Amino acid sequence: MDRTLKNRLEVRLAGLTRGPVRQRYDETEIRVSPGDAPKVLTILHDSIDLRFEILADLAGVDTGAEMQVVYHLWSPASDDWLRVVAEGISRDDPRAPSATFLWPGAEWLEREAYDMFGIVFEGNRDLRRILMPADYLSFPLRKDFLLGDDASRTPGAGVRHSERAQVPATPAGGDPAVRRAPAS
Amino acid sequence: MPTRRQPAQSATTNADPKAAPNARAAGGRRASAKPDVRGVGPRGRISADDPRVTLEQEIGSDLYEPIPPFPIKTEREGEFYSLRDGEIFLNIGPHHPATHGVLRLVLKLSGEQIVDVDPVIGYLHRGVEKICENSDYYHVIDQVDPLEYLSSLFQEWPAVMAFEKLMDVEVPRRAEYIRVLTGELLRISSHTLYMGFMALDLGGLTPILYSFIERDEIVEMLASITGARMLFNYYRIGGVNGDLNHEFMSRLGDWMSRAGKQAEAITALLNENEIFLRRMRDVGTMDRATALRYGVTGANIRACGVPFDLRRAHPYSVYPEIDFNIPTREEGDSLARYLMRVDEIKESIRIIDQCLHQMPDGPIMAKLPRLLRPRPGRAWAAVEAPRGSLGVYAMSDGTDQPFRFRIHDPSFMHLGVVPHMLPGNLLADTMAIVSSLDPVMGGVDR
Repeated sequence: MDRTLKNRLEVRLAGLTRGPVRQRYDETEIRVSPGDAPKVLTILHDSIDLRFEILADLAGVDTGAEMQVVYHLWSPASDDWLRVVAEGISRDDPRAPSATFLWPGAEWLEREAYDMFGIVFEGNRDLRRILMPADYLSFPLRKDFLLGDDASRTPGAGVRHSERAQVPATPAGGDPAVRRAPAS
Repeated sequence: MPTRRQPAQSATTNADPKAAPNARAAGGRRASAKPDVRGVGPRGRISADDPRVTLEQEIGSDLYEPIPPFPIKTEREGEFYSLRDGEIFLNIGPHHPATHGVLRLVLKLSGEQIVDVDPVIGYLHRGVEKICENSDYYHVIDQVDPLEYLSSLFQEWPAVMAFEKLMDVEVPRRAEYIRVLTGELLRISSHTLYMGFMALDLGGLTPILYSFIERDEIVEMLASITGARMLFNYYRIGGVNGDLNHEFMSRLGDWMSRAGKQAEAITALLNENEIFLRRMRDVGTMDRATALRYGVTGANIRACGVPFDLRRAHPYSVYPEIDFNIPTREEGDSLARYLMRVDEIKESIRIIDQCLHQMPDGPIMAKLPRLLRPRPGRAWAAVEAPRGSLGVYAMSDGTDQPFRFRIHDPSFMHLGVVPHMLPGNLLADTMAIVSSLDPVMGGVDR
């Protein structure tokens, strides 16, 4: 846990982060609004005392209530991974600014996030499907895309809030968790 | 730069590039194509996935046409799929002996020179992330195992590391040493195989035979503790599945006495081979800034002079206790990427030697419940796999299944830099560049 990184982040990103800087094991997490993400990433990349020069990962997340874009960054000036969570993206019309102006390599990562979640990255000039066929219509990693097979019938099935939302209204006295149990 | 138009019989030549530079968007090329006699599919076309297309049927030339049979969506796609005077498309793959699996490269050529390239991936996509989100934490390990099939232990490693962070599990030190030991063995196997395939793609058949001798010894060794030769399924959340046994130790001791001998045989065949050197040197040069901005990692970024190796850059497991060097090279060309692997094999042998001397006694598994329900949270873990930094981002929502399971694969990023590296090179160098980046399509497509 890099305590000095927390101080440096609080100074450099004053007013741009949502909530406190969280730290656990070797990870430091900040949360920003998607509109501020390009500004925050530029500061992180360019500041002489932060120097987060490697984009380790860019992932989309569907929490069931909103979309998020999660960046993981590496810097020679810190022992921690930095996680930047751009939160509060609407599920109905997910849009986020692109990070390709800093890391051209983010182009493919954003294509994948678009392919899996439908998040439209504004500024990415090649935002088309990458893993799924070009004429595919769904976004498979969204939480309302359910698998029909028995992989989801573990003892935990029916507990997850996003799946529970999909279970049709039960008759009186019915228990949603029971309805999802395997037939055998 | 040759400007002569290519003859019109090529199925890939645009009919009239001057009149309609973007004929696909205008619908001109498709409308003028001869009608399909075999009947038309639900969307008015027949794709290669159509079960009605069999070997007996005559397949129209448009099946292998590089131009996608759907409207152009993005700026970059429109730019790529419009031809200027004298340019042609050439489709390589998805089934091509030199593409290391099912990778398809659509090249835009002017004469013999590559103008642009559009890699098409996804042929091996199985939705492993979605499957993992629907299986419990123990199952995830064997779901991710077959992704990077040449070094599958490295695919399990970040997954179990991320889960250990989520569950606050401390791994016994002996288990960490066993992980490093088996991981480095597999790194040697993977790099040796890379050297052989590199030569195979350039037309040399012999080195791959030596690589498989070395790989066979290592996988047999690992099979004696894991029970499998390829998909080991060996790391567990909180430790490893089995302790080192007598057979493993005797095979390892036997192998250590001549460690890397087959790799040296390959280097003896290749390092002074004039044909090999001329085809590799100054081909596909990548500079430092490009490598950093395109997310290149592993031996490929170290070949550009950036000493970025997660074993030192972000130490994990017991690597801080082990003495080894991070070799780097300045040239950044295909030859440097090849020689980086040769150097890394030597360092891996040193690490294995130290592991054997420093290996403590003790348990190999932490105590864990049968059903894992970590508290809600997020974790990211990355390891230095043979191909670069391989990361896993896991989110827990308190149930026994990961809420989000994201795999970051280095080969994916390395294919992403190919459209930047290839233009300007000759067609014959395509495979010398792509295979020097060492992509494994199982990991790319996930």
